[in-house]
Formats: sequence, structure tokens, C-alpha cells
Amino acid sequence: MNRMPAIVSFVETRKSLTPNLCIKCKGKGLCGRPYCPILEKFKSIESVVPKSSGDTSIFGASPPSVFVGRHNYPNVMAGPMIPPQLCGDDAMQLEDPKALLKMNIQDVIASRSQLVRASTGISVKNARTPDNPLIEKSQELALSKKPVDTEAWFNKPISNKLKFDNVLTPMGPSGDLRKFDITENPKVPKKVDSLVYDDDALAKDAISELWDGNIPAEHISRLLSIGLLGQERKLVPTRWSITAVDDMVGKDLLAEIRDYQQLSEVTVFSGGVFGNHFEIILIPRMFSFELIEVWMPRTVWSGGSTWIEADHEGFGGKTKYSNLAGGYYAARLGALEYLKSIRRQATIFMVREIRPEYWAPLGVWVVREGVRKAFSKEPEKFGSTEHAIANISSRLKTDRSKWMAQAAMLPDIRFQRTLDSFF
Amino acid sequence: MFKATIDADILKTAIETLSVLVDEARFRISPEGIVVRAVDPANVAMVSFDLNSSAFDEFNADDSEIGMDLSKINDIFSVAGRDEKVVMELDEMSQKMSLHLGGLSYTLALLDPSTIRAEPRIPQLELPAEVVLNGKDLQRAVKAAEKISDHMLLGIDEDVFYMEAEGDTDRVRLDMTRDSLIDLKSGEARSLFSLDYLSDIVKPASRSNEVTVELGKDFPVKIGFAIANGAGKVGYLLAPRIESD
Repeated sequence: MNRMPAIVSFVETRKSLTPNLCIKCKGKGLCGRPYCPILEKFKSIESVVPKSSGDTSIFGASPPSVFVGRHNYPNVMAGPMIPPQLCGDDAMQLEDPKALLKMNIQDVIASRSQLVRASTGISVKNARTPDNPLIEKSQELALSKKPVDTEAWFNKPISNKLKFDNVLTPMGPSGDLRKFDITENPKVPKKVDSLVYDDDALAKDAISELWDGNIPAEHISRLLSIGLLGQERKLVPTRWSITAVDDMVGKDLLAEIRDYQQLSEVTVFSGGVFGNHFEIILIPRMFSFELIEVWMPRTVWSGGSTWIEADHEGFGGKTKYSNLAGGYYAARLGALEYLKSIRRQATIFMVREIRPEYWAPLGVWVVREGVRKAFSKEPEKFGSTEHAIANISSRLKTDRSKWMAQAAMLPDIRFQRTLDSFF
Repeated sequence: MFKATIDADILKTAIETLSVLVDEARFRISPEGIVVRAVDPANVAMVSFDLNSSAFDEFNADDSEIGMDLSKINDIFSVAGRDEKVVMELDEMSQKMSLHLGGLSYTLALLDPSTIRAEPRIPQLELPAEVVLNGKDLQRAVKAAEKISDHMLLGIDEDVFYMEAEGDTDRVRLDMTRDSLIDLKSGEARSLFSLDYLSDIVKPASRSNEVTVELGKDFPVKIGFAIANGAGKVGYLLAPRIESD
């Protein structure tokens, strides 16, 4: 990618904002402004595909990708995402985390900014009987595991604005869709085909079956989002569908993991991607999970100061939505995948340190992949939790006393003895 | 075979002593009565529960083991009147328990005992010190401690039994001398406990006016009291916390 997007300074914008609120909200609009000033700054980064700007029709292979907005829910904007002139493998890269991981942040944004969001207004309830042929075709597109050639016509020339979000992967310009054609047959995995036509399967059961059938999380959330799963089908804003899939798959894995034997040794994993650094301690105990998020100064949302927040769940699981939002469920999923693979249960203590290198929000897949990356590395074993804590502290840039103060579950593990130590 | 009749209120309070620690339990039934030994999932606290056949108005049983979901039983008792009798009858064929109370008749599906955590081994502890006190006093100290901290010290200093909690800035302490206690056997005792557990345990204990607390130095505490007007007993064992810093 040789055409870099212009990097903008957003220091001025920060001054009028309260960083504490920004980091909690991450663009949801809690401050009451109609648009998030931090995200707005990113939007002014120009798409690297100037040729799409001003056009009223485009041709390209969708990776495949669809987008369902959340503004004005339940009357949302939805439709396919198409990179003009791109085809085959080049298009596939845009939706494939493995390919995106090989790039740097600029290239991720540059690549993703080629995706034109072609959207049309629809009520989420009309997913099953779309009175709108554009949605029907988007559904057809979403089934595919490989890029599908498409052609789209717009009512007005495409506006050259990008979309950023803490959960979503960046996206390119948007246009008001008039007509949309799929010019080749989608390649639909058998598992996807059978579950999409199964009206009796609940969405959660369909999701766990797709997961067990090795359908990637991106594909599952695409199906859920465009209203192709479950008994009562609805369009689900893409942002919500991503976290819904992370959460449901996680709960599913957890149901099995709870019956596994406990891990035998305190084990530490370390690693990450795009300035998202993970330190993970697995402790031989029944399952529980604690995540501490440390936003170092000058990262996307934090402004000038370090910001730390934590959330945790016990053996019974989580009932309320996490204050750490989508990142919590993505991180938990990465850890549960590992426990499932070794058929053991454990208490998971995780610190996610977000470093200044993470200057633009790339979406929650970064968390999922960062955790997977850490677990793919050779672990270190320790004789006690204390030694493991000392070990991870040495690699974290934020002082131990700062993040330890936010840990709610860890002190219980460190200081509470168990009855079996009294035999 | 199992068929028994008991005061709803007695059974309800008995079940509560278990449900503060576990959601489901294995009940060992014999002609002598009912026995439960259960440990919480974190292996921090255990309960041993003995309800003698004499607690029942009518008690006919062979040896058997059943698993029950305690929250379901609690739900059933939430509609029971104070002086009502409960008739329980086990249908071994269908693995269901029927409960009749005040004209209502419930059929409760049992759990396969093998799916419930096995009965824990019970550590044999020689605890050097012991106090006997009114359950209300114990609960009062725990409630005061909860206001400022999430853990609490229990200890004995010569002839004084003390309960102490320290928060970030505040401290609360209740001293009880020999004359405000029912009995005291002095010894070296000082251990820290999580209030998460302690407050659950003292809830049923607070109904008893004679609660025995056995203590050691950084050792588990044993808290015991009688239930069903003396026809049963409950004992908890709670592991200590290590004093940090």
C-alpha cells in the first residue's frame, strides 16, 4: 500500500473533551454530541481510493462483507461493502484478520478504506421478508466464504468519509444504494447453508454449531448481522453482532470448560498486536476471569493520562454487560479457546496494556487476535501466583501498583487459602 | 424407600444452612436421618449437616442417596405457611420427590448425585481455642465489619474474644469478655476471614442462641450450632485469608 492516509493531529479536539468519559464511551455518544470528535478526526483521513469518490456506480469483489448500522435503530442503514476495482485475493484480505495482522496500522486503515459502504434504509424486523431486494441480495452475499463479484449503483455520488469505531474494523466511504447485483455465485459452506435454512434452530445454537464447524467468527457475525440466523430473524447492527458472537461462543466453550480438570501449574503467556500488549496468568483453580485494561497516555481514547479499568466474572459466568464493552468478550473468547484446546480449566488473569502505537481504533478483532497471538507463544511456568505476577510486571510499562489497585479478583486468589491446604 | 413428615419451617431453615454455600447437594438418607457434606466450588468453605430422624414427625427410610437443586426447594418453601407440615415422598423409579404442603403438591425432579461435586474430605483440625456465644452477637459484629471492609479478624486475647475489621481509613472492633460469652476456652487464636463467606454463614447461625466458634492461628474456623430444636446440627469450616502486607 503506497498511498498512506494523512495522519491528523487531534490534540486540539481533546482539550474540550473529558478523557475519562471518552475512554468509557469510545464513540458511543455519551457526551451528548451528535458525532464523536475523536472519531470525526479520523474520518477526515482521505480514502486511498479517490476514484470511488464522485462515482455513481462501482464494480468490485466484496470480501464478502456487509454492514448494518445502529443509528436510528430499529430503522437502520444496511447493505454490502464493496471495494471498487478490487477482485479475488486482494478483496479477501480486507476481511481476513490473518492478512490484516501482517500489515501496520496505516496499511490496515488504507486497505479497509477501500470498502465502500453501500447502504439502504430498512427496519430490522424486515430481515426475513425483505421488501427490499437490496437486503435480499446482501443476505445472499453474506453466505459466501470467498469474495463475490458485485456491481452497485448509487443515487448520489459516494461521499469520501471513513468510519472508525472501537468494536468495528475501519470502513471506507458510504453511498446511498439504488441498485445492487451479484455477478457470480456465492461459495457457501455446507454448514452455513443448512443453518441458514433451519428456522427451528435458535440463533445461539446455530452460532455454536457454526463455530464447531470451523466457520470463522467474522463469517458468523456477518450472518447474524444481516438477519440469517435464528427463529425470529432480525437485522443486528454489525457492532452488536460481533460482541454477541464473542459472548455466545464464549459461554458455549465455558459450559464445557467448567467440567474439565484444573490446570496443574501457574502459567504465563505474553504477546499482542498493534500496540495491544497482553499479559496472561493462568492459575490452577476453578474457572474465573479478570481483565484489566490499561490505556497508556496518548492512545486513541486516553488523552494525556493513564486510564485503568477492570472487570471480572466468577465460576458462574457473567450476567450484566461488561463495563469494558466488546473488548472484554473478545479477550475472554481468546482465553477460553486455549483452555478448551488443552482441556483444562483455570482462573484467567489478564492485563491488556494499550500502548501509544495503537493510535487509531481498529476494532475488537485486534483484541481477539492479540490474545490468540499471546497464547500461540511458548508459555512460562511458575511455582506460585506471586512469582507469575512479578514476571508479568517486569514486561508491563505501567507500574504494578497502578493496575493491581484495580484488580478485584486477584487479591482473593493471592490471599484466600483453600481447605485442601489443611490436610 | 423414603417417606417423611416434618414442620415446613424446620425444613426450610435446615435447607438454608446448605444453600448459603452450594446450589445443589447430595443428601445421604438412612434410617437414622439425613446427612449432607458439601464444599463450595472454590474449596474455601464446607458444611456438614446432620438431621436426625427425631426431627421428623414421621420418618421411614432405607439407605439411599439423592441429589437436589436447593434453589428449587427454597422456591417451594417461599409459599409455605409457618405452621404447615410437609410430607415428602421419594419415587425411586422416576427419580422424583413429591412434596405436599398445605394442600399444594409438588413433584420435584431429582439430580443425578454423580453430577454433583463429590463429598469433600474433612480436614482433622485441632483448634486450640473455643468460644460459645449468641448467634445474634456474631451477626452484629459481621454486619458492622461489612460496612468498612471485605474481611475480618477473629481472635482470642487472654479472656477476650475479639472481632475486628479494618478498612482503608476506618476500623471497627467488638470485644467480648468472659461474662458476655456463654463459654470461653482461651488459646492462641487469630485468623482473618473473607466476609463474603462469613456473612453467609452467620445468617443461619444468627437464629441460634448458642453458636460454637473454634479458632486457631491462621487456621480455618469451625462454626457450629444446633438446628431443628436440637434434633440436628450444622457445622461450617471456613479457610482463612493470609494477612496481606
